[in-house]
Amino acid sequence: MSHTAIATSMPIATPRLPRITLRAFEPWLYLAPALAVLIVWTYVPLLEAFELSFYQWNMLPRSQPRYVGFDNYLNLLNLPDMQQAVINTVLYTVGLLPLSVGVPLVVALLTAQLTGPARNLYRGLIFVPMIVAPIVAAIVWRWLLNEDHGLANQWLRSFGFDTIGFLRDPDVALWTLVWITGWKLIGFSTLLFAAADSAINPSYIEAARMDGATSWQIVRDIRVPLLSPTILLLSLMTVLFGAQWSFVYINALTGGGPLRSTTNVYYLMWEYGFKTMSAGWSTAAGMLVFLVFGLVALVCLALMKKLAVYDD
Amino acid sequence: MTTSPNTRRFAAHLVMIGLSALAIFPVYWMVQTSFRPESEVFSTALWPATPTLENYRRVIEVMPIFGILWNTVLMAAATTAAQVVTGLLAAWALVRWRFPGGRLAHSLIALSWLVPFQVVMIPNYVLATRLGLLDTIAGLVVPNAAAAFAVLVLYNAMRGFPREVVEAARMDGAGSLRTLIEVVIPNLRAPIASVSILCFISAWNEYFWPLLLIRKIENSVVQIGLQFFMSQEGNDWGLLMAAATLASLPILLIYLVLQRQVVESFMKSGIR
Amino acid sequence: MLRRQFLSLAVSTSLLLAGVAGSASAQMAEAITEPVTISFYNYNLASAGIGREATLELIAKFEEANPNVKVEPIGAPSNEVLSRVQADMVAGLDVDVAQLVFRDLIYAAEELGAQPLEDVAGDELAKHALGFVPAGLALGEVDGKTYGLAYVFSTPVMFINRDLFKQAGLDPDQPPRTWEEVKTAGKAIAEKTGKHGFFPGAYGPTDGTFVYQSIVMSNGGGKVRDGNTLTFADKDQADAVAMLRDLMDSGAHARIDVGAHMDTFQSGNLGMFLYTSAILNRMESAAQGNFELGLAPMPSFGEKPTAPTNSGSAVFMFSQDPVKQRAAWELMKFLTSDEAYTIITSKIGYLPLRPGIVNDERYLKGWLEQNPKYRANLEQLDRLTPNVAFGGPNYRQVENMMKDAMTEAVFGSGDPRQVLKAAQEQAQPLMPAN
Repeated sequence: MSHTAIATSMPIATPRLPRITLRAFEPWLYLAPALAVLIVWTYVPLLEAFELSFYQWNMLPRSQPRYVGFDNYLNLLNLPDMQQAVINTVLYTVGLLPLSVGVPLVVALLTAQLTGPARNLYRGLIFVPMIVAPIVAAIVWRWLLNEDHGLANQWLRSFGFDTIGFLRDPDVALWTLVWITGWKLIGFSTLLFAAADSAINPSYIEAARMDGATSWQIVRDIRVPLLSPTILLLSLMTVLFGAQWSFVYINALTGGGPLRSTTNVYYLMWEYGFKTMSAGWSTAAGMLVFLVFGLVALVCLALMKKLAVYDD
Repeated sequence: MTTSPNTRRFAAHLVMIGLSALAIFPVYWMVQTSFRPESEVFSTALWPATPTLENYRRVIEVMPIFGILWNTVLMAAATTAAQVVTGLLAAWALVRWRFPGGRLAHSLIALSWLVPFQVVMIPNYVLATRLGLLDTIAGLVVPNAAAAFAVLVLYNAMRGFPREVVEAARMDGAGSLRTLIEVVIPNLRAPIASVSILCFISAWNEYFWPLLLIRKIENSVVQIGLQFFMSQEGNDWGLLMAAATLASLPILLIYLVLQRQVVESFMKSGIR
Repeated sequence: MLRRQFLSLAVSTSLLLAGVAGSASAQMAEAITEPVTISFYNYNLASAGIGREATLELIAKFEEANPNVKVEPIGAPSNEVLSRVQADMVAGLDVDVAQLVFRDLIYAAEELGAQPLEDVAGDELAKHALGFVPAGLALGEVDGKTYGLAYVFSTPVMFINRDLFKQAGLDPDQPPRTWEEVKTAGKAIAEKTGKHGFFPGAYGPTDGTFVYQSIVMSNGGGKVRDGNTLTFADKDQADAVAMLRDLMDSGAHARIDVGAHMDTFQSGNLGMFLYTSAILNRMESAAQGNFELGLAPMPSFGEKPTAPTNSGSAVFMFSQDPVKQRAAWELMKFLTSDEAYTIITSKIGYLPLRPGIVNDERYLKGWLEQNPKYRANLEQLDRLTPNVAFGGPNYRQVENMMKDAMTEAVFGSGDPRQVLKAAQEQAQPLMPAN
């Protein structure tokens, strides 16, 4: 019952009760385990990191930290590859959106009209990439896409096309990584859309049909708007985590190459920040990532509030 | 509206068959490569000419793969359980009460999702070492015992829970914990199932933290086990694919058995 | 205020954990009289196969010969082992002996606190080094002192696909000796077989720079840096890269996925592959049933001698305690002994640091007669030229920038010399000032 009830629900906040002292304490008891874990393992180290980001130090007890102000930040921002990495990050995000949002939306709407075992089978199969270990996904794709011994290019050749240097050609490599990243996501997003779609109150669609709306009009005017919270959520996640998701594949397959064409902000931070032995560089890189994506998250959330259509 | 429902259904099938094939082909490739002898590894034939179990035999010989799989199951199950429990409790606090500091707590939890793990990795390593968690499964679980993702999804699911039911329970004199356990949780099976599945998968695929924390191969988990077949001195693809197949097998089996429930739980969970 | 507290927290905890880090290195103990355990960080242990088995065998043999010493082996992949050592030092764990790659040599000496072996072992070092190849100790030297004892290492050799040579009408028994001949042969293979001619393992994310440095130093001996001045764009050094670019433009140099060169060679699509001899075992088993594998020394620039550069690793001592230092030194000595190199060379395929053993009945003579291919690798030993590591806190960035520039010079469209020059100017400020 709860599933379709989303429409009519509201926060269950109860008015403040008289036994305020005890009551005020109660929610914190529930929050304590999660907060304790996050504070101990995330926020205390994060604050330490913030502090360290103004020093040059390799964290070894035998050496002394040296205060350098904003130098670590400036050095990172002035890296020669930074501009390229920022552009690429945008490309990754833009390229991922069709795979993490567009295709799954279409698939969910298409399969909604299918019934029975076929639908479950399809939805089951496209979920499979999600459970493949990222490193294995990377290796198998590298293999399938290789120009000399890869199946994809062999098929291209047998159909009379030129081969494509999927990971070799600087103009193509980034899109190859986008595809591999997206491949892991399509199934997951489709499931979310299918879930949201099945939660749409059928009486709306019925009513529209009575009014003589075509199925395209129903999709355009009713289903897509009602799916907008999911669309926005997945877009937000793609924007915030796209760079991180693709990181695994950059790291395993290209190391940012060929000719720096596949590097992104996150990978650059990894290579120059986290992988170098300097605590200052790596923490500054981490703080930058955290700040930038935190800001992006705030902007996106504000946008979402404006754009989403809720069924109430 | 020029197309008939039948044509449209046919088109839908066609699109879905294509996408499903794209989704599982690489997985198929992994499995069939694991049956190839070394001389055939780079062949593009769809099936090995002389299939062999040699790769599996050697994986089992050089690595305690079953122990490693067991460690991974333990680690992933414990992590999932911890994340779901801490997630349920925290979500309940945020949904049930409106209280000073509640918004701050909510934002703290949400923001923690954005902290890059590399920043906290070394401090966490130092702490884990001090706590004696080095080279233990517990060390893999404890720092991940709470996840922003689980809290947020469960929070949204609970927000969708009808208020009247909770009120009724309160009228009956049920305390907040009893309401959570007896009223809310039984009705949140679907979102809890979906969250568990996603937590399990992400714990299963965890790589960097175990790489740092685990020292002995007997205490290792599968993602590190896979690394075992890759080195600068060349990669043993047949072995790697056999190990990868073995590593995906449990999770694939669970998925196949529970496939309908998994898909349905997603359909019902209304993660959005 | 707050800031200072956090920092002092971070500093004090790690200080506390590490115990008092004394940098004064007293002479190590004369002998080990009580049982002692030392940690050994090793990357061969982190992957399955002969490397791991041989390493475990070495450790077992060492423990047998030194019953009072127990070795606690810790495996980490070669690109992670330095981070692991550093993390453990930060966490206050005892790091005694570590196998680190040569690129980290200066960092290990200057920042991690590796012990200078001359100070710790005194005369014992010189005595132990008798029988090393001429450049033996120099491989692990920083500012005149030995910090790393060269351990498992190899040099670039040319792997040959003999079948492709034959198909292209070339004689696989006369593999190219010079870059001019590589160009001719590469073009012939590319044109006649449709496969790829030549490729060096110098550009990929995990390749390191030893193949590149080998090629550069073979062109008259100029290095990629001179003291703290970068010189990789100087005339000879840049000419070497321009030569590769010329191979590329001529079609003799393959244009493939730089991260999958081994796959390309193993699948029979590459005629000549210049890479570390440490992969010999892997290439041999991959070639079996597919093509006939050949081996040749690395090509030269005309008559100039080649400068085969070491890939691989050295062992470093980090122990502070005199007894542990003795135990660590005994382990390091054992790992670089005649007996150990017999195992290392015959089982894993690395080069022997002690060339004498190849003609000794007790050690490698018999094995070498059965594996004559390996001679191409041994021939290069007396010209072994130390890999050049970079110093200072930004050493990895500098090395990356150099490698990226070199890759762009070969694969890109710009003038190779200009590309190198621009990168050199950009990287110079990241070098230590003095």
